[in-house]
Amino acid sequence: MTAAAYNDAELMAVLMAREVRDGEISACGALSQIPAAALLLAKELHAPNAEIIILNTVFRPFHTSRQFHYLAQRGELGLFFVSGVQIDRYGNYNLHQLGRDPDHPEVRFPGGYGGGLIYYAARRSVIFRTEHTRRSLVDRVDYVSAAGSSAPNVLRWGNPSKLVTPKALFGFDRAEGVLRLESVHSPYTLEDIRHDTGFDLGMSGPIPATRPPSAAELHTLREVIRPKMIETGTYAAWAEKSLGARPSLGA
Amino acid sequence: MGVPYIPVIGLVGTDLLKRRDDMVVAPDPFGGGTMTVVAKAMRPDVAVFHVDQADRHGNVSCGYALEAVILAEAAKHVIVTAEEIVERVTESEATGAFVPSILVDTVVHAPFGAHPAGVTGRYAPDKAQMRCYLAAARDDDTFAAYLKAQVFDVPTHEDYVALFVSPEGQRPSRTVRA
Repeated sequence: MTAAAYNDAELMAVLMAREVRDGEISACGALSQIPAAALLLAKELHAPNAEIIILNTVFRPFHTSRQFHYLAQRGELGLFFVSGVQIDRYGNYNLHQLGRDPDHPEVRFPGGYGGGLIYYAARRSVIFRTEHTRRSLVDRVDYVSAAGSSAPNVLRWGNPSKLVTPKALFGFDRAEGVLRLESVHSPYTLEDIRHDTGFDLGMSGPIPATRPPSAAELHTLREVIRPKMIETGTYAAWAEKSLGARPSLGA
Repeated sequence: MGVPYIPVIGLVGTDLLKRRDDMVVAPDPFGGGTMTVVAKAMRPDVAVFHVDQADRHGNVSCGYALEAVILAEAAKHVIVTAEEIVERVTESEATGAFVPSILVDTVVHAPFGAHPAGVTGRYAPDKAQMRCYLAAARDDDTFAAYLKAQVFDVPTHEDYVALFVSPEGQRPSRTVRA
């Protein structure tokens, strides 16, 4: 069972789980189904001593979000998962509004709650986006909800470290302050990624294929994490529908 | 908190910061060499918020609206509207966040006071009314019509409930087309 088929949600959950380090505190915010699965999967597989925080679920140590913010501000949050409507080459994300004229937006969104704080406080942030297109991955976001990097004298504990999409994995070059393509998920090609990405891929050298989810990763995700999410009411309806569902990618 | 301003980690380089005159980037006054955003305190003259239970003295249980506690502390005057007035609300028995009467000036009994939003454990958000609100809010004229029909032309809160909240508290008995 080496070439198991999987769907986009499963692939992203596995890739994001690999970013969780054992012994660290890792967290995700509201409306974060895939990160929630990733955190639980990492703890089950390679990070049994990780502390995980899934806001608004049973997997949270605090009753108030204030305590979570204080923990992050103290520099104790190792990893945070975040998404945005638009993400740009510089690791900026936009959760506020679309349109070139900031005074007359075409569409407005609810905003980022505490993301504009946590993005600077977490040691690493992994950005994820379920849509990999030129409209979601842009050269410059229409509105900066949180900035990927800051001047060296600005107090911040961390930066983005990765961008995960259903098609590719990007790393963040902290020295240059830009995202760089690291690997491409099968069956997509480098040409597909170039075609679907609205910014310079910042490549340096050949781009490998992403290491696909292993049989063990998929098995644990479907047979351990899925029932755990359903039983604990952690995005239960999503887990039931998305984990173990018919693949969107044939492998 | 009662402090005039406070340092904040984050927000540097965002468009939010460009549009706020109550937040600036400032150096560490203790010579640490770092810069952070400094946010000016908000001191509202009046705060109005809806809660689950209140007693006649102004002790309040807010369900999970924990931000209400911060709001009550920050505002100079506090008015709460309550789903239910009970004999006594105590900190140990409050189901969620507790606001003591010393912070509250006025209590108003207003069942369905959160409508068309919901109150956890009592009634769900009214989706049909929410859609009506969202459609109306797209431009000033339709929103003015909405306000006229659902607020200004409705003499009392009891009239509002009779007109817009269904018997089950879930569906509206009438929708206003903006």
